[in-house]
Amino acid sequence: MGKYRSRKVHPTPSPDALKNLLYAARDELTTETRLARAGLDALNRYSDRVDELVRLIFGNARKCTETPLALLALGGYGRKQLCLHSDIDLMVVFDGAIGVAEERSLKSLLHPLWDLHFDVGHQVRVLGDFENVETDNPEYLVALLDARFLDGDQAIFDHFSETCLGENPTWQQPIRSALLDLTEQRHVQYNQTLYQLEPDLKDSPGALRDASAVRLLARLGNGNGTGRRASDTGRLSEAEDFLLRIRSILHLERGRNLNTLSHELQETVADLFGSSDEQPRRQVEALMSTYFHHARIISRSLAASLKSLGTPVTVLSTPINDDLARAWDGIRFTDATRASLRPRTWLRVFEVALDENTNVSEQVLTCIERHGERYAPERFFPSPAERDLFLRILRPRPGLYARLSEMHDSGLLGRMFPEFQKIYCRVIRDFYHKYTVDEHTLLTIRTIERLCAPANPSRERFASLLTELRAPELLVLALLFHDVGKWTNKNHAEESVRMAVGALRRIKLPESAVTTVQFLIRHHLQMSTVAFRRDMEDPEVVNQFARLVGTEQRLKLLCLLTLVDIEAVGPDVMTPWKEEMLWRLYVDTYNRLTLGYGDEVIDTTAAAIAELTTARPDDISEQDMATFLAGLPQRYLRLFEQSRVYEHVRLSRDIKRSEVHCALEEKGSAWELSVVSINQPRLFSNICGVLSYFGMDILRGQAMTNEHGLVLDVVQFADTESFFRLNPSAKPELVDLLQDVVAGRADITQTLRGKERGLAPRGPSRINPIVHFDRQYSDRYTILELIARDAWGLLYRTSRVISQHGFDIELVLITTEGNRAIDVFHITHHGVKLSAASERALATDLDAMLGKQNEDDQGDRSSE
Amino acid sequence: MKLITAIIKPHMLDDVRDAVAKSGIQGLTVTEVKGFGRQKGHTEIYRGAEYSVDFVPKIKIDIVADDPQTDSVIDAIMASARTGEIGDGKIFVSDIGQVVRIRTGEAGTAAL
Repeated sequence: MGKYRSRKVHPTPSPDALKNLLYAARDELTTETRLARAGLDALNRYSDRVDELVRLIFGNARKCTETPLALLALGGYGRKQLCLHSDIDLMVVFDGAIGVAEERSLKSLLHPLWDLHFDVGHQVRVLGDFENVETDNPEYLVALLDARFLDGDQAIFDHFSETCLGENPTWQQPIRSALLDLTEQRHVQYNQTLYQLEPDLKDSPGALRDASAVRLLARLGNGNGTGRRASDTGRLSEAEDFLLRIRSILHLERGRNLNTLSHELQETVADLFGSSDEQPRRQVEALMSTYFHHARIISRSLAASLKSLGTPVTVLSTPINDDLARAWDGIRFTDATRASLRPRTWLRVFEVALDENTNVSEQVLTCIERHGERYAPERFFPSPAERDLFLRILRPRPGLYARLSEMHDSGLLGRMFPEFQKIYCRVIRDFYHKYTVDEHTLLTIRTIERLCAPANPSRERFASLLTELRAPELLVLALLFHDVGKWTNKNHAEESVRMAVGALRRIKLPESAVTTVQFLIRHHLQMSTVAFRRDMEDPEVVNQFARLVGTEQRLKLLCLLTLVDIEAVGPDVMTPWKEEMLWRLYVDTYNRLTLGYGDEVIDTTAAAIAELTTARPDDISEQDMATFLAGLPQRYLRLFEQSRVYEHVRLSRDIKRSEVHCALEEKGSAWELSVVSINQPRLFSNICGVLSYFGMDILRGQAMTNEHGLVLDVVQFADTESFFRLNPSAKPELVDLLQDVVAGRADITQTLRGKERGLAPRGPSRINPIVHFDRQYSDRYTILELIARDAWGLLYRTSRVISQHGFDIELVLITTEGNRAIDVFHITHHGVKLSAASERALATDLDAMLGKQNEDDQGDRSSE
Repeated sequence: MKLITAIIKPHMLDDVRDAVAKSGIQGLTVTEVKGFGRQKGHTEIYRGAEYSVDFVPKIKIDIVADDPQTDSVIDAIMASARTGEIGDGKIFVSDIGQVVRIRTGEAGTAAL
């Protein structure tokens, strides 16, 4: 029998006396709650009053048994954080077998508590049970950490404490694992964001359980002090106190243990906290702003605790360059004082952290928090180098969401872009949105990041669109600004456009990029409207949408933006049903843009091309414009800016049969060749042949014919063999050969024959070639869609086969996605669509050509 | 009381909701569904590759109405959801034994 040392022997209380005690305690807490003062201290006092009550009941209960026993408080009761309707979690530990007498004592403990309408969680153990760890009960393990002796045999509690709560690895490791697993599960349940518009004060990220987790991790002994400053403990307590005051109000208002701070209750809570002469809306905004402030403190404390787990304190930092070093907690400044005076270097930290897939250290974030407000936005982008750095940061990849969140939490994002700061913790109260506007924005970017490695097979089709974007950073940029207009209650799309354009011009983003971002923001709701609320079986609906987006790149950008925007509204908002509808609209529009664009020609009446005509340079007449544009597809005007159109008009002047006018210029890492000529057999094939002869890898382009037989080909290609760089006379040589071939003075077929034999494939072929004829998208043309592995001379060989059949290539759309060539030809035979027999014959020869390409690849691979 | 279940084309939802509201109905439940009937699925072609769309996306609306209202609700749905093309959908009507409002405990037509 253990030595019995109770605190006090109490007389057996009557049920009424117990009720009076409880009601008195509750009245006191209720009064504090109505004054919004029921935080740590008030709950502590209330817990003391409940302790008295429980001891009175226990004192009576323990008389039923001779077996030594101890009564412990666990969990929140153990922490003395009881709210009005909180459960009380108890554990009774016997130092001996549990028989009839012990069961009687348990009943004598529990029944009066139930009669008082307490929700009692109870555990019953014997001392020997603590020799084994109950790893299948993680909530119980974690609750043990807050165990507090209430009454009974102190020696029993001491034994339990030494066994389970000391530095015994048998218990410490499973308890730590249980705590980490439960924390992660909770975070996943709440979409891993603390910016919930209706947060659960207990379970949401950044809420009370996270605060408790910080303390418990420290108690478990891995909180070695690194990454947490002394002031953190004070800030953590302040945060906990604030959340507990709100939780107390929720209990009072709901009359139950319900902890969700709903929109409705936010007004009540704010009213109790705020000044009586402030508008309710402002009170709620202030309340939620303060809530998120404290939630962030808790969240960062927890993140720091998690980071420090298992990390030796003595790890030194490794220099990366003069300014930055790699430390145990991420990338840090080598000299924070110097860094504080050089804001233009701050972005570089985030780029390095992304490149190394690691965090930005607390040191950097604190430095930015402290010093950021001294600097105007322009100080962060003093030159194009910083702008380009920012765009590189925005490229979708793992870690992007985390780095942008760090940028936002530290205030850097808001300093660089005050427009974004306007939606800081902005609350939009409706049925759908679950997160603040700024967090919703960052979550859209997280969804883009996840598309880099989709977990769900149905997302792979969208993931492939992401890989096909030429400038994916523009998508992220558009996402960053797409809802900034929600700071006001006006039409947020237009307001977002206005604000974004200002910001982007301030950092001197190229105008074409500004236009793209502007388009995406302006129309970011359009694709979902069409997909879910319009009749997609009506071709005109798809046509209209296709006219709006104009190009395949914009379509892909808008499709991805729509997908992630919906997904980030809240859990389960983007359903498989909606995904399917969105994908169908994408496919229908894509087909319309690539297969069906030929029939829609430019209206050359004065009104339709007024803008082009009005702005034309003096050397270009209205007649020049109209003649050039007549019969070209409307797509041409969507693809080329006004200045380019005027260049093409100039190229077309005084062109004679068998002549070629061309312009060749370098554009970034590629070259662009614009060719104007009069239509003739094998023209397109000859142009492709010349490019292939010089080893050029054709990436993308279009070929168009106007109603006067004038052909315009604009092709972008890569000089893979560095021909231009290594040969000063290369450009004139290419142009000369082009002119000779078109004029019939040279035969490119003969010239290429020898070269064709000796070339190696560009890479392994895992692409089954597809030759597909479409008959529905055009009334004028037969449309041939060819998908095959990108190979040297493919476009030349394909167009040669078509020309050999005597068919005319009127329009061509050339795309290369990775190692896949996707080419769309609009073909006629004597001005009309091909017959079925002609299609079959052409398909046979194209299959043979592509089949031979595959054989050559396999032959070359087998000989390696 | 009757449970009126309508399967309609997705883009008709706004019109049907407005029409049903005008007929005096104050609540309905919407579910995203897919199915096939005579409309059947179809084949989509994307970059030359075919993929079958066997099930057609639809919207299911569930309305519980008092017996005297049933016909007017059906008429409202018919008028607003109909395009005249195959795939307009169907309406199913079944009997409801009891309705209870959870918040107040009201039952029967008072809970509608």
